[in-house]
Amino acid sequence: MKKLKYIILSLICLIATACNDEFLERAPLGSLTAGNYPSTEIEAISATNGVYNTLRLWHINTGGFPLLDIMSDESRKGSNPGDGSQINLFDQFAFTASEGNIENWYRALYQGIRRAHLVMEKVPQIDMDEDLKNRLVAETRFLRAYFYSILARGFGDVPMVTSSETSSGLGKSSRQEIFDQIIFPDLEFAIDNLPEKSDYDADDLGRATKGSARALLARLYLFLGDFTNAEKYALEVINSQQYDLETDFEDAFNVAGEHGVESVFEVGALPENNLNLGGNQYANTQGVRGTPNYGWGFNRPEHEWMLFMGGQDPRLDASIIFLNEVVDGVVISGDATTPDTTYTDATKTEILEIESYNQKAYASGDGAQAIWGHNRRIIRYSDVLLMAAEALNENGKTSMALDYLNEVRARARGGNNAILPDITTTNQVQLRQEIYDERSRELFLEGLRFWDLVRTNRAATVLGPKGFVQGKHEIFPIPQSEIDISDGAIVQDPRWNN
Amino acid sequence: MIKSKYLLGLVFYFIAGNIFGQGLIVNGTVTSNDGALPGVNVVVEGTSLGTVTDIDGNYSIQLDKPNMTLIFSFIGYKTQSVAVNGRSEVNVRLEEDVSQLEEVVVIGYGSVRKSDLTGSVTSIKSEELIKSPAADPVQSLQGKVAGLQILSGSGTPGSESYVRLRGINTLNDNRVLYVVDGVIVDGGINFLNNQDIASIEVLKDASAKAIFGTRGANGVIIVTTKKGTGDAKISFAAEYGVEKVANKLDLMSGPEFARYINDVTPGTYNNISVLPDTDWQDLVFEDWQPMQTYTLSVSGATEKLNYYLSGGLFQQEGIIPKSDFQRANLKLNTSYKVRDYLKIGTSMTGILRNTTNAPGVVSPAYWAWPINAPFNADGSFGEVQGSGNPLAAIEYSNSETKAFRIVGNVYTELTFLKDFTFKTSYQFDIGNDKTRSFTPVYYVSPTQQNEENDLKVEFGENRSWIFENTLAYNKEIGVHRIDAVIGYSAQENNSEDLTGTRENLLGESEDLWYLNAGSTVNQQNTNGSSVRALSSILFRANYVYDDRYLFTATFRRDGSSSFGANNRYGNFPAFALGWNLSNEAFFPAGIPLEKLKLRASWGINGNQNIPFLDQYSVIGAGIDAVFGQNEAINSGATFSGRPGNSDLKWEETSEFDIGVEFGLLEGRLSGEIDYYNRLTSDILVLLDLPGYAGAGAFVQKRFNAADVRNSGFDFVLNWQDEVGQVSYGFGVTGNTVKNEVEGLGEGIPGAGTQIISGDLGNGQRVTITEKGQSIGSFYGYKVIGVFQDADQLASTPRLSQQGIGDFIYADTDGNGVLNADDRTIIGSWIPDFVYGFNANVGFKGLSLSLDFAGQSGNQIYNGKQAIRFATLNYEDRFNERWTGPGTSNTDPKASTGGINYNPSDYFIEDASFIKLRTVTISYAFPNPLIEKLKILTASVYVRGTNLWNSTDYSGYTPELGGSDSAIGGIIDLGVYPTTKVISAGLNLTF
Repeated sequence: MKKLKYIILSLICLIATACNDEFLERAPLGSLTAGNYPSTEIEAISATNGVYNTLRLWHINTGGFPLLDIMSDESRKGSNPGDGSQINLFDQFAFTASEGNIENWYRALYQGIRRAHLVMEKVPQIDMDEDLKNRLVAETRFLRAYFYSILARGFGDVPMVTSSETSSGLGKSSRQEIFDQIIFPDLEFAIDNLPEKSDYDADDLGRATKGSARALLARLYLFLGDFTNAEKYALEVINSQQYDLETDFEDAFNVAGEHGVESVFEVGALPENNLNLGGNQYANTQGVRGTPNYGWGFNRPEHEWMLFMGGQDPRLDASIIFLNEVVDGVVISGDATTPDTTYTDATKTEILEIESYNQKAYASGDGAQAIWGHNRRIIRYSDVLLMAAEALNENGKTSMALDYLNEVRARARGGNNAILPDITTTNQVQLRQEIYDERSRELFLEGLRFWDLVRTNRAATVLGPKGFVQGKHEIFPIPQSEIDISDGAIVQDPRWNN
Repeated sequence: MIKSKYLLGLVFYFIAGNIFGQGLIVNGTVTSNDGALPGVNVVVEGTSLGTVTDIDGNYSIQLDKPNMTLIFSFIGYKTQSVAVNGRSEVNVRLEEDVSQLEEVVVIGYGSVRKSDLTGSVTSIKSEELIKSPAADPVQSLQGKVAGLQILSGSGTPGSESYVRLRGINTLNDNRVLYVVDGVIVDGGINFLNNQDIASIEVLKDASAKAIFGTRGANGVIIVTTKKGTGDAKISFAAEYGVEKVANKLDLMSGPEFARYINDVTPGTYNNISVLPDTDWQDLVFEDWQPMQTYTLSVSGATEKLNYYLSGGLFQQEGIIPKSDFQRANLKLNTSYKVRDYLKIGTSMTGILRNTTNAPGVVSPAYWAWPINAPFNADGSFGEVQGSGNPLAAIEYSNSETKAFRIVGNVYTELTFLKDFTFKTSYQFDIGNDKTRSFTPVYYVSPTQQNEENDLKVEFGENRSWIFENTLAYNKEIGVHRIDAVIGYSAQENNSEDLTGTRENLLGESEDLWYLNAGSTVNQQNTNGSSVRALSSILFRANYVYDDRYLFTATFRRDGSSSFGANNRYGNFPAFALGWNLSNEAFFPAGIPLEKLKLRASWGINGNQNIPFLDQYSVIGAGIDAVFGQNEAINSGATFSGRPGNSDLKWEETSEFDIGVEFGLLEGRLSGEIDYYNRLTSDILVLLDLPGYAGAGAFVQKRFNAADVRNSGFDFVLNWQDEVGQVSYGFGVTGNTVKNEVEGLGEGIPGAGTQIISGDLGNGQRVTITEKGQSIGSFYGYKVIGVFQDADQLASTPRLSQQGIGDFIYADTDGNGVLNADDRTIIGSWIPDFVYGFNANVGFKGLSLSLDFAGQSGNQIYNGKQAIRFATLNYEDRFNERWTGPGTSNTDPKASTGGINYNPSDYFIEDASFIKLRTVTISYAFPNPLIEKLKILTASVYVRGTNLWNSTDYSGYTPELGGSDSAIGGIIDLGVYPTTKVISAGLNLTF
């Protein structure tokens, strides 16, 4: 019948050609073209879920590898010496603007932003439950702010895209503009419109909350050195009574603690070795290499950090899987192609690294597949407490700062009162250092250390020996391809011009 | 006076009537210049009385009145009216109708006299088309049409040929457009029986192709099938042939291979003489496999009805087991004159095709270790290292495709106001195919086994229709001749596929090869569909003044769903001029040059074979999130795949052609030379987007952003003469091509300036497309020798992995450092020159004809030699390897892979060839002999195909076609070998 219609149509078209347009307008079959999607409540939800999906993309984590950890003084490339040797460029600050990992990371972040714009452009027009509509838009704006914050923090001045149209011809906007025009308004909107964590159904845990928006704001204000606002938002999280510390430090990362009381924002994942089935390869790249086979073994804990932790802090063992350790009843034998111990020189006097793995990216279960189910914790409550302590100390509110710092230490003690005594100093400078050190012990390999060093101007001192150059490595270079494609509209940051 | 004359006649009539009653009988003979004319229609004017002349041209007819008029008509002759005037014998000599006899060339939406042609068009008649034993009729055009390159495609029986016109037009799909009896078909014409084809016209220049607008750029091949003529005729054609691999490869024997491995790992084989020595090619290829074809047709024409009905059968076993092909054709062409002004007609082709999908054993037979035995002592398949046991691969391969297709055209022609003809036609092309592939449980070795049987069933369906209306105007006023057509056409193409796979069938019997017999665990299915629509207006006018000056203007406007919303309509104009110099008064008479014609054309054509779905941004499902205390998938959907380009449009070719046609020495020597220059712009390429566009990592967008120019000459020369009773002739065709990428990504900010492609399948990519080079040029290191000793190694730039006995690569940039920048252009797969020539000689009924075809200036990357994913057998050139200082400076030391297999010109081979395509000896039985048997014509022939081939190429054939995408070049990864065929045939008409 349809055929007949077209035949009649084309007969008519003999006389009038205007109707050709209908005849020639053929949508692809079996797939939905962008344009009218999303247009229902259900589609609004699924378009929003599509933005969350970005958090599990391989390239969202600095191009597949936890480069930010590797660039810090907490870890080294890992795996066996030959595998992924280009990652050493990051450990040694030898990377250039042409490094694919940087380009792919940058592209994945903007991919998430484009997905967010789809929701922001279409969902407000849908006739649906208003509360749900506001929540979905607020979740989306939280995610957009999160993606933009990684870009602005990581690359400085970047193009400000505000539409899902695949535009071209844009130049860069300043980091300040990105914060003022996108990130801060988005997060304020999110705070105003998102529920608290406890207001969500159990099935919706993992969605953005008021608390996650406030905590992210606190993190960003701290990065920008705005201690007043950092204090304000960190305290709002604390005072919301939504969060607490897990009794056992390990529960802050393991499967049992997923969406637990300490989790402010985390990325849900299923133990499937496939992105499309719900898996996240973030932990798989860091899993034990060899026997048992949990993964590739990248992001090896730095031996120096082990020394820094001393022998008493229980967080050392909780953060690292050592050889011959028994984890969930399985002996960790490790990788035959990876030396158990690597020395700095031929005399083998100084240890450079020992074969060991990131336990914060571990998930118990059935081997390599289980580890894809690791929920990456983006913001933990202990980070919020330490952010509050740091901001309060900077703002001269020492005793409150000590309370929050010691809350974190108390949990870390794990009931052993012989270790990690309360900090009591009221000297702002000393307390500042105590808080910095506590962050290193508590937030090891959580992607925070590098930026902590940068924002507190300690990077040159701490990372200088690895190759960090002050006035250059505080940001990543804009990917060379982006500069090439922009045909002059986007220029490299002057810090990377030579 | 006049009145009385009539009166007298009337009186005479009555008297005569009374005397002779009703019995005035007129006899006579109808002749032509060539003698008696059988089958001439003789009709009494104004009555329904009529008869037909017999075999000797005689007729006899009874008249009512003695002064009636007889009308004699026969196709190809001028109709004559003759008043009887009371005579009892009326002999008539019919004159040939020059306007009908002059060669007519079919062009799109009409036909034109050869002398009025302004474009570059080559016409090939059926005698030439039946000279090839292949299932694809296009094969017979090889070497016959200047500018047309024809190579085998996949080479398997029944496969479509690779056909390219005047170079390589685009980086993408270069396939020519086929039009069969007015139906624009998808893909090639291997569904036609070559016996059913009356002529094939190849439209080469822009003017000739412009009427096909957005589909003409790659060239147009118009196929016209046979119609009935004269008396009812029954024709029978049969051919039986046998084929074998034309050229076996020179591979290492068992002992040679073992010695080679011993060079790699000394002491591996200590007693070489006890090892098996297996020639896998001998085991896999079967010699002298049969192929046969039969056609039976009935055809004829009366004044009103014209009919051609034929049935054909083609069958080929193939030289590899389980690669057979069968095709049954049914062809019906009819037309009927309902009224003087109204004609209806149909043209239909229906086929059934069965193809056993050849097991992929050509490369395994190459790679298999010659020191492995095919069978174990117990008769089971032996383990073969390298590639698995090719014989087992054949044994366990079961895949068959069954296809059905019908292509038809139903039309009505209405003639009015004398000069106008309105034609409306509905055309359709409907086909489906289903493929069933079953793999049983088997075990040969740990790497060659199947633990659970599995079945894959695939269904595909294509449906397309064209609705076309044209109005033609033909007028001759004095010295002016006008011939114009205007039309409207709408077309829709639909395709859909559905596949399912299951494992663990209830048994292995063929009766169980249906999905229902399998387990639902791990079952999979896919289903996709696409639709395209096209609507067009078209116009062409030919004007001829005094047979001297010719002018053609053509225009087509195409609207296509394949193009983005912002570029939905394309306009394709063309103009051509012709000048028949030899018809000028000033043209000197009495010189050997009798015919001279100049012509020139310019026009724009398009190519719409583009990945049209790339115009859309698509929302993909399954982009999910994981939420909840009890974690679960929450379905998500968002942008997926490539961002759409709503500006996407056709690729556009503008072409200039200038040609000269000439005839010398009373038509004995004739020829044509054309110069062409065509620039294709807006070629589609995938380019990077700015990262901030948000398409994601590695996702590219398709843009119209490259330019390619092809230029060169086409020429044809023919000599035909007779010496006494011996007739003989020669013909030559040739085509030169210069192919150059003139732009890539220009105007698209930051677009890459080169495309690396030509993947061997192991990650090595061996072609580059960049400005200033030909499309898909081979790219790699230049080998300049082999490292002989440590001194040389130390003093010569090298890659770190290279040692003594390895290749020395040229430091092409001369900077003293060898690295990836030293890779360079090392060859081109596009020939500079494609040619053919033929010779024929005839004496009485006996004739001999030879057809040669060749090409030169092109290379092939011998990929099967370069791929070393494991230790595999080698070609025997490796016997000449370096084994110590001074032993070889051309072939490296023994190795099973690694640095010496990097892309380099070591694997580039010259693919120039010249071959004796066919040689045919035929004999037509003389009339007196066969007349007694009531046979009109009878002939027999013996033919050899591909009997001789001269080439330096080491593979099975240098006649490798590339893929649909031109950027990948031509890489030999082990194709189904070309065969030599010896066949004998019989043609009968009665």
